Amino acid sequence: MNIAPRYLGRGSWLARRDPRLLLLVVALFVFAIVQVWDVRLLLALDVIAAAYYRSARIPFGQVRLLWAYIAFFVTVVVFANTLLTAGEVRAINEAHLHVFFRLPLLGTPISAESVTYAIAQYMRFGAMAAVGFPIAFAIAPGDIGPAFARLGVPYKFAYALELTFRFIPSLAADMRTTIDAQRIRGYEWEKIGRGPVGRLRRTVPLLVPVTINAIVGAEDTIDAMDLRGFGTGPRTWLRGLAFDAADWLTLAGFLLIFAVVTWLSFSGLTRLWVPPFLIPA
Amino acid sequence: MSATTLTPEQANPWEVTARTIVYSAIGAALYAVAAQFSFIMPGTSSVSLRPAFALVTFFGFAFGPIPGFFTGLVGNAIADQLSGWGLLTSWNWSIANGVVGFLTGLLAIWLARSIPNRAVLAGVASVVAIVIGFVIVLSDVWLGTAENFGAAFTTGYFPAVWTDALVAVILTPILVLAWDPIRDAMGR
Repeated sequence: MNIAPRYLGRGSWLARRDPRLLLLVVALFVFAIVQVWDVRLLLALDVIAAAYYRSARIPFGQVRLLWAYIAFFVTVVVFANTLLTAGEVRAINEAHLHVFFRLPLLGTPISAESVTYAIAQYMRFGAMAAVGFPIAFAIAPGDIGPAFARLGVPYKFAYALELTFRFIPSLAADMRTTIDAQRIRGYEWEKIGRGPVGRLRRTVPLLVPVTINAIVGAEDTIDAMDLRGFGTGPRTWLRGLAFDAADWLTLAGFLLIFAVVTWLSFSGLTRLWVPPFLIPA
Repeated sequence: MSATTLTPEQANPWEVTARTIVYSAIGAALYAVAAQFSFIMPGTSSVSLRPAFALVTFFGFAFGPIPGFFTGLVGNAIADQLSGWGLLTSWNWSIANGVVGFLTGLLAIWLARSIPNRAVLAGVASVVAIVIGFVIVLSDVWLGTAENFGAAFTTGYFPAVWTDALVAVILTPILVLAWDPIRDAMGR
């Protein structure tokens, strides 16, 4: 179990950028791509996302399981939507669908439109994940606080964000220690309890001591902050951040993408587009 | 301290002190770490129970609306990031988690005089907050994760509410009963 964020993109082009850029790019890209269902436009956005992801030089072997998780989750989303909406796709009436066949028992139509919709979902989520990964793997852990503070987040909350990232490795270690300590006492958290209630009750010997220990242990951090006068005046950060030309250019590029996609969306040009070769003659 | 009096954190729930910041950070980090432990509900294909969700309602209940909101919002976003899903991919779910923590903190204050038993109060406040807070996930329709409101309700809202309510009803009172005597002993 390796829960702590890993700085896998260290030294890459993206890791050398101002960390604020990575946060802004994700926000701009996510809000752009959620407006798009046209697979031609999604293909262009996927290419941009892939290029951006490659610039972080994150070793695939280290994140293979994360990509598998995303593929699994998107598959669940696609199938649940297809089955529960009885084949209705982006408000297209069933009479206008180009149906290939119907699922046995359920009768849900599988059409050119639903296949395109499924492909679009994979493309959307794949691109969002590719642009999101660098936040976890290409921002130095110590840059999180200053990055959010310089983005206008109140300094107390920016500091809380930084503290959160700093606490994660030690709390993950506490969790492992507690699991081992409870195992010595004969407790196996993985063992299946009786029903959901039984399974939840099995987590109590793990969740309660870790939580209470963390809260009690936090007193030292609180005292240290109080003794240094935390909250008595605006805080400054030792780490200085400054956009260079490459940062401004990249930001301008993603701002342009967001603006163009939003304009296309308002013009009705981002709706689901079915490739002609999928439409039965 | 009697069962019906407010804790110091709840007496002025809007004050942001070093204590608020540290409890918020601890809550979010714990949620992000513990959220990696979840299991599929027996008899279902994709509905998972996330015992760590009890931390959102617990931190809201025990330390106030601000730590509750931060624990849910930031904890869920980081948990998603650690699992590979992405910090902002399901940002509406992170906001929903934050609102649940926030509402639990508010309801704990508002209902403190009506429900003197802290364990019962924790359970009631958590369930009401979950039912209201997760309405935000219906925005999946706009984001395209759900095709229509029926799908958003069936695959998003309803499973989230009943699994998280189950988690909160069982685990939040246990955490409260474990924490209250320690808090009193520490003089907090």
